[in-house]
Amino acid sequence: MSNLVLVIIILCYLAFLFGIAFLADRKSKSKWVNNPYVYTLSLGVYCTAWTYYGSVGIAANDGLNFLPIYLGPVIALPLWIVIMRKIIRISKQNKISSIADFISLRYGNNRFLGALITIVCVIGIVPYIALQLKAISETFEIMTVQSSRQSTHILSDSTFYIAILLAVFATFFGTQKTDASENHRGIIASVAVESILKLFFFLIIGVYVTFYIYDGTGDIFSQMSKRENFETLVSFNGLEDGFNWLFMIMLSFTAIFLLPRQFQVAVVENTREKHLKKAIWLFPLYLLLFNVFVIFVAWGGTLTFDDTTNAEYFALILPLVNGHNFLALLVFLGGFSAVISMVVISTLALSTMVSNNLVIPYGFLDKFLTGPLEKNDFYIKTIRRVAISLIIVAAYLFYVTFSVELSLYSIGLISFVIIAQLAPSFFIGLYWNRGAAKGAILGIIGGFSVTFYTIILPLISQIYTGSETFVNEGPFGINMLKPYSLFGIDFLSAPAHAFFWSLFVNMFIYFSVSLSFKGNYRERNYAEVVVNSQNFKDLQDGTLVWKGEAYVADIRNMLVKFLGIARTERALQLFFKKYDIPPDTQMADARLINFSEKLLTGSIGGASAKILIASVVKEEEISLVEVLKILEESKSTMASNKALTQKSLALAKLSDQLKEMNETLIKKDQQKDEFLDTVSHELKTPVTGIRAATELLIEEADDMPAPVKKQFLENILSDSDRLSRLINHILDFEKLSTGRAELNIKRQDFNETLNTVLRSIRQIASNHQITIKRLNIESIEIAYDEDRMLQVLTNLLSNAIKFCDNENGLITVDYNLTIDYLKVYIFNNGNPIPAEDIDFIFDKFYQSKNQNTVKPIGSGLGLAISKQIILKHNGKIWAKNDKNQGVTFGFQIPFV
Amino acid sequence: MLFHCRFLLFLSGMKKRHEQKLVIISLGLFFIFNVPLIFMFNHLGSIFGFPILYFAIFFIWLLSIVATYFILKRYYE
Amino acid sequence: MKRKILIVDDEPNIVMSLEYAFKKNDFEVYIARDGNEAIQIIQDIIPDIVLLDVMMPNVDGFQTLAYIKGQHDLKATKVVFLSAKNKTTDIEKGLAQGAEKYLTKPFSVKKIVGEINELFD
Repeated sequence: MSNLVLVIIILCYLAFLFGIAFLADRKSKSKWVNNPYVYTLSLGVYCTAWTYYGSVGIAANDGLNFLPIYLGPVIALPLWIVIMRKIIRISKQNKISSIADFISLRYGNNRFLGALITIVCVIGIVPYIALQLKAISETFEIMTVQSSRQSTHILSDSTFYIAILLAVFATFFGTQKTDASENHRGIIASVAVESILKLFFFLIIGVYVTFYIYDGTGDIFSQMSKRENFETLVSFNGLEDGFNWLFMIMLSFTAIFLLPRQFQVAVVENTREKHLKKAIWLFPLYLLLFNVFVIFVAWGGTLTFDDTTNAEYFALILPLVNGHNFLALLVFLGGFSAVISMVVISTLALSTMVSNNLVIPYGFLDKFLTGPLEKNDFYIKTIRRVAISLIIVAAYLFYVTFSVELSLYSIGLISFVIIAQLAPSFFIGLYWNRGAAKGAILGIIGGFSVTFYTIILPLISQIYTGSETFVNEGPFGINMLKPYSLFGIDFLSAPAHAFFWSLFVNMFIYFSVSLSFKGNYRERNYAEVVVNSQNFKDLQDGTLVWKGEAYVADIRNMLVKFLGIARTERALQLFFKKYDIPPDTQMADARLINFSEKLLTGSIGGASAKILIASVVKEEEISLVEVLKILEESKSTMASNKALTQKSLALAKLSDQLKEMNETLIKKDQQKDEFLDTVSHELKTPVTGIRAATELLIEEADDMPAPVKKQFLENILSDSDRLSRLINHILDFEKLSTGRAELNIKRQDFNETLNTVLRSIRQIASNHQITIKRLNIESIEIAYDEDRMLQVLTNLLSNAIKFCDNENGLITVDYNLTIDYLKVYIFNNGNPIPAEDIDFIFDKFYQSKNQNTVKPIGSGLGLAISKQIILKHNGKIWAKNDKNQGVTFGFQIPFV
Repeated sequence: MLFHCRFLLFLSGMKKRHEQKLVIISLGLFFIFNVPLIFMFNHLGSIFGFPILYFAIFFIWLLSIVATYFILKRYYE
Repeated sequence: MKRKILIVDDEPNIVMSLEYAFKKNDFEVYIARDGNEAIQIIQDIIPDIVLLDVMMPNVDGFQTLAYIKGQHDLKATKVVFLSAKNKTTDIEKGLAQGAEKYLTKPFSVKKIVGEINELFD
């Protein structure tokens, strides 16, 4: 394949990944970007070129040794439900943006510790990135079959351009926001896609080698088993191998937590805690799939070439020699994907650490404080961008200078051992509250020194002196200090040996220093918060004990410098609202201090945030005892809060009931007012008539013609009647509704009672041209109060007359007996009762807008009184519109 | 009301007892993958074309995945 | 020319007394039993004054007043409420809508006539 074609393909592939990242950034809220599968796949950044090519090389040469690198994570993943969840919770709460931030937070936001961790990580990871570049360069060379690697000029090396493109990619998608604790959805989505592709292509080549080139796993195994030394490839060779194996597993166990890129994808980029539910079983499955075919590719290559010097690239060479160039291209792209995701995530994580834990706290704080506001955001991003470029350039230079001598495997393991120095301060610090910053710092320095001596120094001396005397004889010929076998422990492999000694020293220092000094109160406070995060997570901003003086205005100014005015105001508003503090409060409390520190942490790292906030507040020293006491109190406050919440819920319920009762009372009161209002209006009307007529009769007595005089007198009479009727009705109604009325119940013929009513009402009906029809004239003996029944029937019939059709008024009266009840129906053919009225027509003084006569004959109390009477008889009264025209009023009384 | 919401948060995830099942799996894996237990499988020979040691490791690996899958599916709310 | 008065009330007895009194005092008297009737009559006669009850079936006093205030050719027509509702809120509402006066029931006929005449002095 020609150089140019491959470059074009690489460019197209990169463009594709840019596109995915761009889309995912645009739709960062979409469920395509935020789901447990993307989270799990992003963890696949663990599988780098080392996995993709290196594993095959080890499997071919050293046998089992590639496996522990994956067994560590497999053992670790079930523990994530406890450990990783704790880490994620603490990190989200404190806006943690890197492993350096996390560890230094645990030790009191210690500035030096953060910087030290950053340096250790950079030293560990830059060669690792170099190793990825090396893989690209070598596979590129294999694909194009040219010896371009030894090119004399950087500019003619395609690896250089690829490195630049990766830097651009990481810069573009990694530094859009100042707050590094925010998610980079674009990068994560592209990593997830890369994880799918690299696994898929690796499985393809595995199946291809196993089942296409060879005749299945059995075939390869039986052919291999005839080779000499086969035993060493498939079994442990004594207990020493077992120890190496154990240390390698422990090493990779720490790596899955501590590698900056793993921390980035697992913690910083975690959007929801519950994604762990999928990742805990799916990620081990991902790793399993990646490992199943490794030995077969390795052995297939061994059998084909009868030589394992190029074993790392068997996956690529095998299809090439068989003429399957396209397949080789897929394998190449798979490896390329592994490289890209590792390089991008690692540089992103490292650049955040370099800016937030090294450059800003040590060099830029003053500049930020004095410089113009708008620039800070720009500075922070620029620092990160420069850091990304520098890291990639450093890695490239490392690759150009050293990589010829080193294999993928050895550089990878050295990286792991260096990063493992963070393990004691990280893991022990999570669960042991006495672990102190001094112990962590000295432990890391000690452990790193041992690592340097036992694994880095021998390599350097080999490269520079070209001799192995340092390794074989020790410094100045002191045998006990031979770097690969300190104090005579000579049965371990170099990385296992370095891991053992460095961690031994590291932990020893960590424990002994932590225990030999009395803790600092601030540090211990942070330790409590992390170790007992379970107890404090509900306290949120109340976790840091703090005493002193601070002004909200000062803190606000500080925040504005880094977040801008808009974000600051929004954040403070939320804060004041959350804790119900008046927004014009002048003095800041511990919660605001804590809250502001967290806000700044995302942008400039925990250490800087602490320094900045400390610069505007006046803190008083508190004793360690006091801190512990206050924390203890907060814990018990939490417990009593729980009880309080339950109580307050009960109270809320009670107050709801009270409110309801109050509302009904108010309603009743309003009803009473309305009643009085209506009564007085109803009373005034006849009085007005009487008053006016009487006045005229007196004043105009002389001029008034006799017939007019008579008319006025008649008016007075009718108004007086109306007045007395009204008063009677009101009294009657009150008597009935307050239950003071006695019924005089006797058995009698309902038909007779009905006849009595009809005799008196027929006249009025015929005056209005209304016909009254009876449908039933049967006699029915039933018990009721006759006077009251007369009242009800009269009311209902007058009502029917009132609402009857104007022209052809028709009223029908019917009754029948059911088993339990006498039911009476009085129908009129007038307009239906409006829907909004039908529920209220039996209320007192409720007068429909629909009546045809000018004024009601009655008092407005007729139906209300009727209802009371029927209720007194244990009956029921109702009104119903007919389907066609007309309304039926009905009632029933029990037949007892 | 604020308090109330936080309690709900508190309830998400898993009960301690079921979390501990996962911890046990992790511990079990650590012991079975290491000396001395791993030497139980240190024999020559093959199963389905896999060397016995590889087969044992992959098989235990797979078993642990299935176990964690079911524990999480059942007990993670 | 005689002044035209329209009395709008649904109580015939009250209307009768008012009619007698205003006729005696040289008014041309028209009667309406509710707002609907009133609006029809108003269009024909363009009264000088409308004496308006508030509580009436169908179209009440406030609605009638709103109609009158909306008609251009009824600009000169004055409206006086006459109602049994004598709460301050009712009175304020009536006056706010543009009634000249708000008189309450029960009333002295002489006083009503006096109040109306006052409007034309």
